[in-house]
Amino acid sequence: MYPLITSLFLVPVIVSGLLLILPKTVARILVITSSLVLAALSLYVFINLDGVLYFGVPHYVNDLVAVADIVLLVYFGWIALRRRSWLVGLMTVLQFGGLLYLLKILPADHSLQFMVDKLSAFMFLLINVISGIIAIYSLRYIDEEHCSSFRKKHFLSILFWFIAVMNLVVSSNNLEYFFLFFELTTLASFLLIGFRKDELSVKNALTALWMNQVGGVAILAAIFFIIYNGYGEATFSNLLAHASASGILLPLALLSVAALIKGAQLPFSKWLLGAMVAPTPVSALLHSSTMVKIAPFIILRLSPALKDTPVATVVIALTGFVFVAAAISALSQDNFKRILAYSTIALLALMIMMAAVGTPVTIVAALVLILFHGMSKCLLFLNAGILERVFHLKQSSDMDRLGESGPFTSLVITIGFMSLLLPPFGAFIGKWLSIETLGALATDKKLLGALVIVAVAGGGAVLSLLYFKVMGLLIARTGDHDKIRFEKTGLVYAGTMYVLLGLIILSVLGLPLLLTGYFVPVASQTLGMPVAVVMDGWNMHIGAMKLPMVPLLIALFLLPVTIITALFIRFKNVDRVKEYMCGEKINYSFSSFYFSTDRATPYFTTTGILFFVALIVAALI
Amino acid sequence: MNDLLIPVLLILLAPLIGGLVYGFERIIKARMQRRIGPPLLQPFYDFLKLADKRKMIVHSAHAFLGIMHFVSLWFALAVLLLGGDLILVIFLHLLSTSLIILAGYSTRSIFSHLGANRTAISILAYEPVLIIIAVSIFMLTGSFDASAAFNWDQPLLYKMPLAFIALLLVLPIKLKKSPFDVAEAHQEVTGGVEIEFSGIFFEAVYTAKWLDYVFCYTLVFLFAGNNILLGIGLMVFTFFYLNALDNSSARVNYKQMLRFSLTVSFSLAFINLLINIFT
Repeated sequence: MYPLITSLFLVPVIVSGLLLILPKTVARILVITSSLVLAALSLYVFINLDGVLYFGVPHYVNDLVAVADIVLLVYFGWIALRRRSWLVGLMTVLQFGGLLYLLKILPADHSLQFMVDKLSAFMFLLINVISGIIAIYSLRYIDEEHCSSFRKKHFLSILFWFIAVMNLVVSSNNLEYFFLFFELTTLASFLLIGFRKDELSVKNALTALWMNQVGGVAILAAIFFIIYNGYGEATFSNLLAHASASGILLPLALLSVAALIKGAQLPFSKWLLGAMVAPTPVSALLHSSTMVKIAPFIILRLSPALKDTPVATVVIALTGFVFVAAAISALSQDNFKRILAYSTIALLALMIMMAAVGTPVTIVAALVLILFHGMSKCLLFLNAGILERVFHLKQSSDMDRLGESGPFTSLVITIGFMSLLLPPFGAFIGKWLSIETLGALATDKKLLGALVIVAVAGGGAVLSLLYFKVMGLLIARTGDHDKIRFEKTGLVYAGTMYVLLGLIILSVLGLPLLLTGYFVPVASQTLGMPVAVVMDGWNMHIGAMKLPMVPLLIALFLLPVTIITALFIRFKNVDRVKEYMCGEKINYSFSSFYFSTDRATPYFTTTGILFFVALIVAALI
Repeated sequence: MNDLLIPVLLILLAPLIGGLVYGFERIIKARMQRRIGPPLLQPFYDFLKLADKRKMIVHSAHAFLGIMHFVSLWFALAVLLLGGDLILVIFLHLLSTSLIILAGYSTRSIFSHLGANRTAISILAYEPVLIIIAVSIFMLTGSFDASAAFNWDQPLLYKMPLAFIALLLVLPIKLKKSPFDVAEAHQEVTGGVEIEFSGIFFEAVYTAKWLDYVFCYTLVFLFAGNNILLGIGLMVFTFFYLNALDNSSARVNYKQMLRFSLTVSFSLAFINLLINIFT
């Protein structure tokens, strides 16, 4: 097992290096094969991993990590000077001071820096499969980008290096290591967001940099308090072992702050929105599958200790607020990718909330949401790229001819949105589990439970309005286009779409199996207690939650099958007519409606800041 | 046996029952306006006449989505009547509504689009209220299943009167009754999403509205627990209330509808939820 896991770290790094020097055709083959190999490896690790695997690395690696930290911070400092960004400078100085101080006081001896459990393996699978698909997709996307061929190689190289970093993040136990990898993902997002090198990209990349650096500072502070409180080594496992020790709340709160920032929760949502200027595979990579998922991952890791603490209460309240606020903010957006970004923020809030509640069913709900949101959002973002490249569309209001010119793309986007919203898709199951467990939460934590239910119910309805609004533009067509012919988007684009669609549909079909064999084992190991799953006739019970399978199976035929059939079905012996439109003869442009949310949005940031203050205050009291 | 027989019969006969309710409604509405009104079976006569018309569609996907709207609504109703999970029922209903919204968007007709926009906004107006009511029922009965509410030995109404009022306030949105009939608004958007359906294909959308009657009155019936007499009383009351309201009020615009629903109805349901949680 050990060599396999290390190869998950090393293979992407080696590929990343090779991609810089290999010629184009060989590089292509390498990208495809290594994506497949990584996916297979992570699947193997997931299936064969029992128990928790701790392993240490040789002594010199510790020094290497310290050196890497310093080099990284020097680089950040250089960026701050070059771009004259005082925020980045301030954060770098804070981190540098904190790091040097910690290096002095930290015990020189580390043991068992890495911990791989089922949660890590779950993340491996998500990261490697989705990132692999994105890497293959980028082969063509980046080929069409207007930049030098070296920068194209450079782009693919960063992608793979980023996969390695992500694999490291989710398996590190030592917080000092975790800090380095966390900062490396920040570096990756800085480089990828600023890839196009125009003014806006650079500006947004700097925003992403300093905001995520705040998260880094929070991790350093958490390490400090762990040492200061005398829990011994600063590791996740050690932190969980001291779950009821005094003073534990502060490091937990600080790590939660780091998580919330990575998850772009308000008021730190700006970096994720700004990241939309980057090439689309980057948006997909940062927003769907990988980087933002660090946020629910951290909270899941901490959930046994976090559960029922004041910190958890504030996190739940904050994410409940963000869920609604992000959904409302999305209503006024026109840019397709920004709409997706806001909806990502909202759904991340739901995942973090579920992880923070920390009961068996909510953990399962969080995992279900992480996986299915990853797939659906990846599909949607990659389609945003196709819209941009093949159809030259960026604003959703321009997409009103898509149903005629690109029926396949419009079908895929429709399924993508539906899969985030409606039964029988996984994201719906996650939302359903959320509402019902929050109902159960309200019997315990009364007011909080009630408020969060309101947030989930309201935000969910706003999101459905949002999705309909976007879908509505994509599918309109006239009777002349009754017989549709799928457009040709090319092997790479169409292939990745088919693979993702296949994964989504398969996972819906295999949901009972996935729940028993995939989500529940992960949840029970994360919590350290068994989660009861019983099949009782046609009902599946997870803890106190009942999932009736028959309605879900029928819903499968009603929704995905209906939407796909609707495109192909032809009614014979029926006359085709022009739209009646009540006899109106006006030229109408089918743009959608928008909501002016200006009156509400200024308060969102302020409220978000107040929540972050409350988070620290809750830990101190 | 009896437990299953009645729901199954209701499910099978749902379109007929809904049609009768609609026919009766037209009479009552007419009487309120001192007209005589059509015969009770007029909806069915209309149904037969529609079947006889020339078959015309804009395009196949549009017509097919209309039919599937009917099928999925029937399915949502079946899950509700069989005592299924209320949250699931609400989302299955959303699924069926989503299909008619997609149908509305799938043509290049201005009124169809406006209607679909407005239907989507209506969802925002009523769905949160319904979810809050479902959670309140959970707080009371300890289960999200509708069957738990059907079998509850005392009427839910006594414990959640405010939620019932909230339901009464959102039902006109769902059933497209004045003052909240913006989605259909014949004088403004000439039926909204329905406009491009005709003949036998309109039939599906037309009868789906009948199913919606049964769906909504079942939601009302939930509030009576296992007290069937009270349930019937509540349904009759709701019936007269809806028609009186429809006759006596003028349509508001969608913003007013949204504001009213999210402030008044939503707050009522929420206060009721708080009461149920804290007692």
